[in-house]
Amino acid sequence: MPETEVAARPASSAWQPRSPWEGHARPGRHGRAEGAPGLILQPRGRSGLALLIAAPGRDTELGNRLAAHLGWSLPEPGRTRIAGERGLIWAAPGQWLALAEAPEDLRELDTLLDGVAAVTDQSDGRAVVRVSGGRAREALAKGVTVDLHPRAFGPGRTAVTGIAHIGAQLWQRDAEPTYDIAVARSFAGSFWDWLTAASAEFGYVVEPGPRA
Amino acid sequence: MRIRCPYCGARDNGEFSYLGDAAPRRPEGMAAEPAQMFDYVYLRDNPAGAIRELWYHAAGCRSWLVVTRDTRTHAIAGVAAARDVALAREAGR
Ligand SMILES: [Zn+2]
Repeated sequence: MPETEVAARPASSAWQPRSPWEGHARPGRHGRAEGAPGLILQPRGRSGLALLIAAPGRDTELGNRLAAHLGWSLPEPGRTRIAGERGLIWAAPGQWLALAEAPEDLRELDTLLDGVAAVTDQSDGRAVVRVSGGRAREALAKGVTVDLHPRAFGPGRTAVTGIAHIGAQLWQRDAEPTYDIAVARSFAGSFWDWLTAASAEFGYVVEPGPRA
Repeated sequence: MRIRCPYCGARDNGEFSYLGDAAPRRPEGMAAEPAQMFDYVYLRDNPAGAIRELWYHAAGCRSWLVVTRDTRTHAIAGVAAARDVALAREAGR
């Protein structure tokens, strides 16, 4: 679009941020109606998410800067270090996902990690849903090929994998169990279809999602 | 068949894609004879037994791996990050 047209756009643009789950997640009880719900599905809001890719041989310096300025330390492969809604998630060798309450909270990483890591904002790139409840593991087992049994997986663990042929990263938050699952934003609808189909036999509650 | 990725743990082989023999080394560009390049590009051994081959953990950590596999049984004797294998080779040169 020519620059002049961009400049001419009124400040009160009709374009508004929209949750990737909007139009898919309908709040309320679904699936099996009897008994307590087996799962709680909570579409996550526009939290801050950024991929950090360490420059070759700069892992240690990356860890040092994050520790000095944010009090964060780099988790080992397959691990997370999250307090509340902030922290780091291992994503690949030399790569981590940074997590924060809001995208703005991660804006300083660009300058903080200059020369040490490439920082790519993923706040609008990934869609995250929080899955919890007594039957969560059984429902996820229908599409997750990673063993989520407590003897093999638990709080503080993460896996980059495919779920029903959709690239996904999941991490376990607590032993309830509660999992956060991130997929590419454009796959949110497909992933939601799979997740709700897998959860239906147990009965599930969709908590109201954020507007954006 | 499962492959134990050194970063991700044991994963279904559907998460990986296969490249082939990890042994061929690309000859020095302009110096190579055509026959050497032909050998590098096209000719492969087809052993019945152990072979070291390249697999890519596409649906996981996106790492290249060197997997030692027995072609008769699919038993996997070892998996290493291709990066570590290459660095060790450079160091030993
Ligand atoms: Zn892997």
